[in-house]
Amino acid sequence: MASFNLRKAEPKDVPDILRLIKELARYEEMEDQVKLTEKDLLEDGFGDHPFYHCVVAEVPTEHQKAEGYSVIGFAMYYFTYDPWIGKLLYLEDFFVMKEYRGFGIGSEILKKLSETAVKTRCSSMHFIVAESNQASINFYKRRGALDLSLEEGWRLFRIDKQNLLKLSAEE
Amino acid sequence: MASRFILRNAEPKDVSDILRLIKELAKFEEMEEQVVLTEKELLEDGFGEHPFYHCVVAEVPEEKQTPEGKVVGFAMYYFTYDPWIGKLLYLEDFYVMKEFRGYGIGSEILKRLSETAVKCRCSSMHFIVAEWNKQSIEFYKRRGAADLSHEEGWRLFEIGKQSLIKMSAK
Repeated sequence: MASFNLRKAEPKDVPDILRLIKELARYEEMEDQVKLTEKDLLEDGFGDHPFYHCVVAEVPTEHQKAEGYSVIGFAMYYFTYDPWIGKLLYLEDFFVMKEYRGFGIGSEILKKLSETAVKTRCSSMHFIVAESNQASINFYKRRGALDLSLEEGWRLFRIDKQNLLKLSAEE
Repeated sequence: MASRFILRNAEPKDVSDILRLIKELAKFEEMEEQVVLTEKELLEDGFGEHPFYHCVVAEVPEEKQTPEGKVVGFAMYYFTYDPWIGKLLYLEDFYVMKEFRGYGIGSEILKRLSETAVKCRCSSMHFIVAEWNKQSIEFYKRRGAADLSHEEGWRLFEIGKQSLIKMSAK
């Protein structure tokens, strides 16, 4: 298998995007944590103000799996802002179906995202990786990625909905 | 000393104050020369057709203002997206001038951001804190923040411009 195509996601891709999000979550043993619906993805990605962007990888009809899938990989990204340097491209999710790995699809996706970042005048690309995921860490380090948590001591924090409600209600 | 202040959404006229406070915060982190952003970029990026960030500013009455003006604190945030749960509010920068601390301005700002997050149907608020910044970590933990780097092992990575150009050209 050698030919595949990368393109910007369209509204019709939303069921495939959700399917791949769930596959990636399943791989992390967290599939039941995916609460997002196709309706959410459609409104949030293809409405007046998109909250995310997607690139999808598809294979020609004759290479489709038994279930008839054409989209076999995706990357979800959005733009963030660094108050010292400005726009950044933030890579949120990145997944190629197992049976389609090893053909350079992941590299092509990352290349396309790099082009997008440069074209939209982003200073760099940011993303998080779990420290246990050595394969991904190496994949990114080979392409020049720097571990800012290691170098600069950054830790990611979360205030969840319950606590946000509590804070909003405080006098 | 002022205990009265107001919080409001930033407007284009606030851009020079926002840049001033960004630089003050950077100076506190001993990184002031790293701020290469200009007022022009802040204006285009925050108040153009597609804002890349939003700001809330804290203002004191005229009689309490500093030589720099009435704006004494700010928070910069934007919306991010979690593929499992959807929209999140991401707190990027958060600073109150030293002489105006201890009056609840920081708490009010965080409260306002919490209201914004809930109103915009965000599942949670995310932000990063340097591991050595114990004071900030305590401030956030008192308000229910969880350290996801500690709990889930997340590490922040960066691919810099040079490497991006290298990859695009391959």
